[in-house]
Amino acid sequence: MVEQVREHVRKLLTEGQISAFLGLRDQDSNILPYVFEKPEDLDDGFTLGEVEGALPARYPLAKLLMVLVSADPDKKFGILVRGCDERALYELVRWNQLPGAADRFVKVGFACPQELADAHECRKPFPDECVAGEKAQPVMNASVKEIDAKDLPERLEYWSRVFDRCIKCYGCRDVCPVCFCNACTLEENTLIRTGDLPPENPIFHLTRAAHMAGRCIDCNLCTEVCPAEIPLRTLYKKVAEIVQEEFGYVTGEPGDAKSPLNFLGPDPGHTSAHD
Amino acid sequence: MTVKRIGFMQKLLAFSGVDPERLLLKWVSSAEGPRFARVVTEFTEKIRGLGPSPLADARAGKQPAAMTSAEAS
Repeated sequence: MVEQVREHVRKLLTEGQISAFLGLRDQDSNILPYVFEKPEDLDDGFTLGEVEGALPARYPLAKLLMVLVSADPDKKFGILVRGCDERALYELVRWNQLPGAADRFVKVGFACPQELADAHECRKPFPDECVAGEKAQPVMNASVKEIDAKDLPERLEYWSRVFDRCIKCYGCRDVCPVCFCNACTLEENTLIRTGDLPPENPIFHLTRAAHMAGRCIDCNLCTEVCPAEIPLRTLYKKVAEIVQEEFGYVTGEPGDAKSPLNFLGPDPGHTSAHD
Repeated sequence: MTVKRIGFMQKLLAFSGVDPERLLLKWVSSAEGPRFARVVTEFTEKIRGLGPSPLADARAGKQPAAMTSAEAS
């Protein structure tokens, strides 16, 4: 599979369709994001993230593309995409974080193995167009229903307990492909007390959850990196469910729909709070 | 924008274990003094009926010393 992708990228670079390719490189068994600039670079450590005896390594490449695109306005980049990376790209374009959008990058997609889809309970483990790989079956996540089945005090007890494990490393925010604000509410002392550990509970995590509304593309990176094993995924899944109920909006899909909290004015079907 | 956020937030609060009835959004003009008084009074009464916030309980119970020293400084 890696050969197919590598040769596809080599063709793009050789033909000059892209100036550089944002992918992953195996450097002494450490997998890191890397910008391949010349076709011959591809012969040194080009990888799709496979790790021996573990699940493939993933990175928020879409977020890195955002940086590359703004730093180099004249270049067109290729980018390695799994299903989740593609959803992130769709969302970032919608939030105006990739100016020039389609003219600035070319997606090189590949499908994730079923094993990875199962591990992350992925709703779409493949991008729209795949250069390589066989499409795995989507997997549903049932964790939201488990919380819905509890009553209010039980839910509060559950979330207080898991949020209290937080060591405020900001890993969830830093790894998030759709967290792009220059100034972050989570570090704003007037809104959230910044000196506390664990952070103000549940304000810290609910604030982040509210900011995920109409943004979270359900890649599961936050939950994967969390050293305290906080089930952030479940929280943001619920956020996505509410956004769909309230506004009929699903994140990470192609098309020109607008994310409901990214424009002023009421949504169709909503009335004002006047009584 | 606000009306969109409040509807969303009420559902998120419910999922987190906080009674969504504790969050209210009303539009009151600066020319509507009596209405403002009525809205606030009604909501205050409602909150009183719901009792103390479970969040305030949790926080006060957990770190009484820290909170007192923070208030003193």
